[in-house]
Amino acid sequence: MEHELVIGLAGLACLIILIALRIPIAFGMIMVGGIGVTALNGPAIFLSQLKDLTYIQFSIYDLSVIPMFVLMGNLASRAGLSQELFRAANAWLGWARGGVAMSAIVACAGFGAVCGSSLATASTMGKVALPELEKYKYQPSLATGTLAAGGVLGILIPPSVVLVIYAILVEANIVTMFMAAFVPGIIAVILFLITIMIYVRVFPNSGPARDRIGRDQFWQATFGVLPVLLIFGCVIGGIFFGVFNPTPAAAVGVFLVGGYAFIRGRMSMLDLKFAGLDTAKTTGMIFLILLGAEMLKIFMARGGVPQALAEILGGSGLEPMMIMIFLLLGLIVLGCLMDSLSMILLAIPFFWPVIIDLDFGMNTEDLKIWFGILALIVVELGLITPPVGMNVFVISAMAKNVPMATIFKGVTPFFASEIVRVILILMFPGLVLWLPSLLGG
Amino acid sequence: MTQSLSLNRGLIELPIRFIEWWALGGCCVLAVVVVMATISSVTGFLFATPFPGDFELTQMLVAVAAFMFLPYCQLTFAHVSADIFTSKASDNVVRLLSRAGSLLAISFSLLLVSRTYAGLLDYQIYLETTTILQIPIWYAFVPAIFSLALWTVAAVITLIFPEKTVNSPIHEALGEHD
Repeated sequence: MEHELVIGLAGLACLIILIALRIPIAFGMIMVGGIGVTALNGPAIFLSQLKDLTYIQFSIYDLSVIPMFVLMGNLASRAGLSQELFRAANAWLGWARGGVAMSAIVACAGFGAVCGSSLATASTMGKVALPELEKYKYQPSLATGTLAAGGVLGILIPPSVVLVIYAILVEANIVTMFMAAFVPGIIAVILFLITIMIYVRVFPNSGPARDRIGRDQFWQATFGVLPVLLIFGCVIGGIFFGVFNPTPAAAVGVFLVGGYAFIRGRMSMLDLKFAGLDTAKTTGMIFLILLGAEMLKIFMARGGVPQALAEILGGSGLEPMMIMIFLLLGLIVLGCLMDSLSMILLAIPFFWPVIIDLDFGMNTEDLKIWFGILALIVVELGLITPPVGMNVFVISAMAKNVPMATIFKGVTPFFASEIVRVILILMFPGLVLWLPSLLGG
Repeated sequence: MTQSLSLNRGLIELPIRFIEWWALGGCCVLAVVVVMATISSVTGFLFATPFPGDFELTQMLVAVAAFMFLPYCQLTFAHVSADIFTSKASDNVVRLLSRAGSLLAISFSLLLVSRTYAGLLDYQIYLETTTILQIPIWYAFVPAIFSLALWTVAAVITLIFPEKTVNSPIHEALGEHD
């Protein structure tokens, strides 16, 4: 084995140890990357790079959409959009058996359309939908499982921060990625709804229908949600049809959500301050970890670790599809241990060189999109699986009388439906590639 | 004794508050980008006259805002870590590891302050500017370097008062919000 590769692998081992020791992942990446490059090429190159590496990283234009999306999500969480969404969904679907849970799923998807964070989606929708589900005596495992699972819908429904990061990592077009994510997002909603239908059929008393509502109430709820749909239409429609780039689109979104909250009198100065500070925390965290990932990438590329991995797996004689499944399983396992953002930043620089060498009968651009969507779905599964299912923790903190094990049990059918979705997309890449080719992304 | 302690608390509260305000300042920079990009995209859509140079201003201002957020992130332990392997560790161990993280942050932020300053000088000498508006890029380095220095201050504070500190002045000064 070459000398560089040994240093690269040793660096990787150090990083894993640092992460296990609870050192912030960004710091670990920066340290290992910095020391590694110094070990390979001497300090001069690294020190000279550091002069403007941070500024160059922070001022990548594609990244500027991230603080916008984060701010939009934080404003939306505090503006009470979730109430309108849930009320409307409940008016449309609540009459069915299990309908209140289905409404929660649809509302989660709707909220995911203005907020890119799974956790925020779970916690915001949880606050609104959990009391309703309890009121109708939904089985606790179904009620909590639905809400924890509903949160993961956020990742594939634009605006999604992790999607942007993936696109930057593999140099894919962000707009194309957004388009590609749309159909899989809809599929997830449909599969979740089917899951609930099956659940209430197997356990007949687990999810009763809600009380009947009057016609005026129905229309009131329907009209109430129109502004939210309008905001989503402006932002996503504008991006899809090429009216504007993601960053201005997100800026318009921030403007509209903020304006809506202000008109409805739902936003106090204190709310605004905390929405700003939350944005500061998330943005700073994301940008620093991106800097770390860049430094690590420089080091790993010089050490030749990704290429070595690609050679080993490529020369293993395994079918490309087997390697793909193997990597996705790896992501599921790692996703159980780490948050999805760090996971994508750590794993994709290693996995992508492996994938790009394999023949799936499609060109590189399509492969980027297809693999990206699959990877994003599976890393997000870590949010609803033990040991650190963050979405489950969030819902558990709200539903104090429901044991954690019950929530994990309630999530299981949704986890199964996610696996179905992954298999569907593996078998039919067209599900992902259809919309981008239609809209000419 | 109690009095000197409360005096110390007051001294530590000042930088904490300042860092919070600095982060809110970053939010204001972001707000400028929001307003600018919104106006630019609306006029661009309606009259095909987008604001000239909005692209490069966005880049520059978002970078400045991100720098301004770093000290606050340090102070609020916002940087993600995987705590699964240490979830059963005692508070003492967690404090120790948190301090180790703060030490890393101190050394890295100090290194960045000095290197970014060298970068500023380079950009001044070769006078690189943005393409359309001709804004010298080193302008952005000034708030960046100040933010990095403030990050060092924040890391010193988190070194003294790591995670799981009982009655941490950081919590007292910033308050809790959900």
